[in-house]
Amino acid sequence: MAILLDVRHLSTQFQTGAGIVRAVDDVSWDVNAGETVALVGESGCGKSVSALSIMRLVAAPAGRIVGGQVLFKGRDLLTLNEEEMRRVRGREIAMIFQEPMTSLNPVLTIERQLSEGLEIHLGMAGADARRRAVELLAMVGIPDPGRRLGQYPHQFSGGMRQRIMIAMALACNPSLVLADEPTTALDVTIQAQILELMKDLSRRLGVAMLIITHNLGVVARYADRVNVMYAGRIIEQGTARELYANPRHPYTLGLLHSVPRLDEPRRARLDPIEGQPPDLTRLPTGCAFAPRCAFRVERCAVERPPLVPIGGQGHVSACWEAERLDRTPALR
Amino acid sequence: MTDDTPLLEVRNLVKHFHVGGGLFGGTAGIVRAVDGVSFTIRRGETLGLVGESGCGKTTTGRCILQLERPTSGQIVFEGSDLTTLSEKELRPVRRKMQVIFQDPYSSLNPRMTVGQIIAEPVAVHGIVTDRAKRAERVRELLSHVGLLPQHAQRYPHQLSGGQRQRVGIARALAVEPALIICDEPVSALDVSIQAQIVNLLEDLQAQFGLTYLFVAHDLSVVRHISDRVAVMYLGKIVEITDRKSLYDDPRHPYTKALLSAVPIPDPELEARREHIVLGGEVPSALNPPSGCVFHPRCPIAVDRCRGEVPELREIRPGHRAACILA
Repeated sequence: MAILLDVRHLSTQFQTGAGIVRAVDDVSWDVNAGETVALVGESGCGKSVSALSIMRLVAAPAGRIVGGQVLFKGRDLLTLNEEEMRRVRGREIAMIFQEPMTSLNPVLTIERQLSEGLEIHLGMAGADARRRAVELLAMVGIPDPGRRLGQYPHQFSGGMRQRIMIAMALACNPSLVLADEPTTALDVTIQAQILELMKDLSRRLGVAMLIITHNLGVVARYADRVNVMYAGRIIEQGTARELYANPRHPYTLGLLHSVPRLDEPRRARLDPIEGQPPDLTRLPTGCAFAPRCAFRVERCAVERPPLVPIGGQGHVSACWEAERLDRTPALR
Repeated sequence: MTDDTPLLEVRNLVKHFHVGGGLFGGTAGIVRAVDGVSFTIRRGETLGLVGESGCGKTTTGRCILQLERPTSGQIVFEGSDLTTLSEKELRPVRRKMQVIFQDPYSSLNPRMTVGQIIAEPVAVHGIVTDRAKRAERVRELLSHVGLLPQHAQRYPHQLSGGQRQRVGIARALAVEPALIICDEPVSALDVSIQAQIVNLLEDLQAQFGLTYLFVAHDLSVVRHISDRVAVMYLGKIVEITDRKSLYDDPRHPYTKALLSAVPIPDPELEARREHIVLGGEVPSALNPPSGCVFHPRCPIAVDRCRGEVPELREIRPGHRAACILA
């Protein structure tokens, strides 16, 4: 499979009152054409900033991309000028956000918002743009699309708005969609609808997807490959099957063990990850997860573990004790 | 542990909201937020209340706390019907019923220290009148919820999400309540922190004999913490039974769909698993469907469902479902 997006050693920093935050710190991952890849992690781990960095939407002057490359179809997006970058956004790479109400303009009709991209990127206008807009709404499962085009965002439910966001993202036939927590704000049954829709469309249209989420279940159901982030770095990477069956970083293992599962007998107690999420302005010199880690050894506090291959199929883990994890009997 | 006397009995609870918008401030419609809900909670028990947004689960909790006065129905708590009590008569009862909210940040006063936040209910209810003893009580409460004495001097913004939720729990515990309504207490927290808080709630229940109404949309967490579970849809309970029956043998098609919609963190299993994806969306409580409120989305609905309101009937001892086909 051809590599579509190749993120190499990307680093993004924010200048805050409390000091410099390395929100994304030397992170590398890629997405193949047509594939679904997940960036998983908890709040503040850098997953959203990664997506914003790719789109070059990190808010300056506080935020700054300080290093690395973002190779999209072989071209480094970080070297493009603003005009060239505008032609990439929405046309070749589109984005879907968590809260559709805040990303749709409340005072413009759906038709106006859908056709904006069509006009700017594809030069469509009038009846052509309208025809395409109707087609897009129908494609994402909005009944009576011709009539609903004239309505405003507040006249749609949360699930319907997210369908509109998906229609907008797909309007110009992009080859990659970045979906940042696309279903987190939705109810369980609507979440299932939207995820099935995204999966179906990505297959039918051959669009590659980057799903950014904290929900391990969503990742298991939809992603081909997974990147787990903690404190601005990728700590484990692999195919979804390999990573879930054989997690080789204590954080991944801890996340998987801390959630109760419907398919397993109820446990008397949950096994949480102890401690608090890291303070990004004061990260330890060694492994950022060490203070909460059950497998910690002396070396972890002083030396940061690099990502090293484990097993096959591109499975890598950043842990000095990754070998020991393999021999650890399942905690449950 | 649980004994058989009900601590709380909710009988036929109805809460309708009148929506304005009519000319001259008239009523444009009635939102049937809670529409005839009945259940009991035994002392020491945890009842899970699940459903999607707008199903009335939070309003049910607010009616129990008398933060909303019900349109009709009874809330019998420790033998007395709260709906007949005046504000003044309610005050001692409020001490017995506390609430933990979803977002600890917006439910803690940002200008008060953690110590002040926890001490306030202790002072207001006159539980400990001596100032020094109150500080002692705050330290004790902090330790119950896994915080350190020095956290008393901090402000909410100086704490992490999990620590803030611990403060919310300590504040609820401060007045030695019998019942705590936990309204989505872990859904705003990071995955790695959720399990800490769930374990804490379970420990406190065992230690202080607390009774919980656990309102949530996450079915996996509800299964873990609840003894019995009620599923709500559009203002009504559609199924209620003990945890094991609900998860092993759900009878209502809505419960089945909800369970099927929960993704399981195992790619191999997910690839094999059959998913019931419900069509459509939850209808408006302003204008609920006729007959069974679930029928427009129900995969097994028959003609009768359109006209007939299904009774929440006993399918087997202790298991009730509101479906004529259950």
